[in-house]
Amino acid sequence: MIKVIYFAVAREMVGKGEETLKVENLTVKQLLEWIGSSYPAFDQTGMQVAINEEYAMLDDTVKAGDVCAIIPPVSGG
Amino acid sequence: MKERYSRQILFKPIGEKGQERLASSHVVIIGCGALGTTTSEMLVRAGVGKLTIADRDYVDMSNLQRQQLFTEQDALEGTPKVIAAKRHLEKIREDVNIETVLDHVDGPLLEQLVIDADLIIDATDNFETRLLINDVAWKHGIPWIYGACVQSTGVVFPFVPGKTACFRCLLPVLPSVSQTCDTAGIIAPAAQMVASYQCAEALKWLTGNEEALRTKLLHFDIWNNSFVEAGISRIKNPACPTCSHQPTYPTLTKQEGANYAVLCGRDTVQVIPDSERKMTIFDGEIVARRLGLTYRLTDFFIEFHIDDYRCILFQNGRMLIHGLKEISEGRKLYHQLFG
Repeated sequence: MIKVIYFAVAREMVGKGEETLKVENLTVKQLLEWIGSSYPAFDQTGMQVAINEEYAMLDDTVKAGDVCAIIPPVSGG
Repeated sequence: MKERYSRQILFKPIGEKGQERLASSHVVIIGCGALGTTTSEMLVRAGVGKLTIADRDYVDMSNLQRQQLFTEQDALEGTPKVIAAKRHLEKIREDVNIETVLDHVDGPLLEQLVIDADLIIDATDNFETRLLINDVAWKHGIPWIYGACVQSTGVVFPFVPGKTACFRCLLPVLPSVSQTCDTAGIIAPAAQMVASYQCAEALKWLTGNEEALRTKLLHFDIWNNSFVEAGISRIKNPACPTCSHQPTYPTLTKQEGANYAVLCGRDTVQVIPDSERKMTIFDGEIVARRLGLTYRLTDFFIEFHIDDYRCILFQNGRMLIHGLKEISEGRKLYHQLFG
């Protein structure tokens, strides 16, 4: 199981702040694809993923017990 | 002096030494909107010796909800933001040294502004200028404090050349579309929060408390009561054109010709003429008269309306065309007006 936190506009797109998924050993890219296919409103353009409070690369692996945060880029000021 | 800063001096990590360091510090703030006005006010009150504030825009009614230095009078007169900010900041503290730059910040200009700077504060509203700040910061070895906000969320991080990965590592490809304050809205507490976090990082750095700096990006959402922190060591790119051992600083290469840009979700196209082309307010006045357009002259710009567009031409030749979304339309109108 992994925990996924949807932050800022990602939260708006999927309609919830977090959820637990019964998956493990998938890449960050696969995780984003899974979210995209489960929530049609989710647009992964520019989204970044942090695993256990560290920004991750697309081919990094998400393991059981990991906490993944989906973070959109922020440019306003 | 001591009385004025007594409460800050009582705060142990700052003390008298830290206060003296603040008095001899120079901070460059890029952008004078919500983040720029709040950080500049806080740093002026904290006793920072010199501030340089750069911004290309003027005060508008829609700014007043969150840009706390500005007044209705500023918006009615369309005072350039840096001019209005300086006026108010000097009322708050007489002995502060404030340099204002009413211009679009590009590479050569920013390199000149940071010559004796201790720190750069990011108060911009777009990724392009942040990449530019990032390149200049690394080239000159000056830390910069990233801050951004939209809706009820914000993000903060102090980038320190030689210590952390850089902004380009975090964002190697610019998102083609991102939410901005002008398209997705913003509440003031989110902006003030980012500015406060930025100032805390600034005070740490300027008073010699480097070890207290944040080591992870902070993302917060003040409406949904959540925050996420994330470190950037893992994503440091060993071949990064900014922070690797062989940097090329891509944003600092000079562009030729006129420069057109669409401003952050505002239906505005900015035109900066080629450096060889000297345009002034008076060229704008000549054209407005020739076309029989009504116009308004201020100390800083000429404003005129043509068709459904509102044009503002600044003294240095830079022009904003409001009511346009496409660069091509901006280019066409500019050529129609000035050939």
